[in-house]
Amino acid sequence: MVLPLSLLKTAQNHPMLVELKNGETYNGHLKACDAWMNIHLVDVIFTSKDGDKFFKMSEAYVRGSTIKYLRIPETVVDLVKTEVNEVRRQQQREQSRGRGGGRGGRGGHRGGGGGNRGGRGGAR
Amino acid sequence: MDLPDPYLPGAISLFEQLDKKLLVVLRDGRKLIGYLRSIDQFANLILEDVVERTFVEKYFCETGQGFMLIRGENVELAGEIDDSIPTGLTQVSPEEFRRIEDEYLAKNPPKFLKRQAEKTEEHEA
Repeated sequence: MVLPLSLLKTAQNHPMLVELKNGETYNGHLKACDAWMNIHLVDVIFTSKDGDKFFKMSEAYVRGSTIKYLRIPETVVDLVKTEVNEVRRQQQREQSRGRGGGRGGRGGHRGGGGGNRGGRGGAR
Repeated sequence: MDLPDPYLPGAISLFEQLDKKLLVVLRDGRKLIGYLRSIDQFANLILEDVVERTFVEKYFCETGQGFMLIRGENVELAGEIDDSIPTGLTQVSPEEFRRIEDEYLAKNPPKFLKRQAEKTEEHEA
């Protein structure tokens, strides 16, 4: 599972539709976003609430708190899925590497413990 | 309804609904239906294969919206939907729906239009 805001981050440089709370929509490519859902779009087409006015603008910055929803293309979703799988694989690789080192360390400790036990046995 | 144990209150309670088919009602009255894929602490939702349902009397129409990220504060209601329960409503195609809608609006004009019509009549009289 990817958190909604991480998905937005993955969607950078992809086209999307943003609808504001007031009903206006902005169609454009996502250039940047942050943890507050503030977004920076480029090559934007603005559509008024009733869909009767259109404006083209090269850039638009939208404050996160004014957003109602975002429509994101399916291609980004596939991208996220592959990205998640890649991260998981990497984590697994790191984990198995870590486990290997840990085993060696633990083995050493175990050896020491055995020695102690042996020592105790001798004292008794 | 059985609450999950332990019950986690707040937005995280939606965790139980992950990958389920959800009906989401937005503050602007829109009804969206889709599969819940992800949530966060603000109840921002990620819905997949979303359709918007619009209703006129006993008919409804679905329009595909694809993949959506909904900002949590606009959500009025979100709940699992069971398609096997009959609603008594009939689904129609977008074309058919537009026809039904026009018919309905001709019979029941919205209040503000009625008022405008009355005003113009007064002027003419």
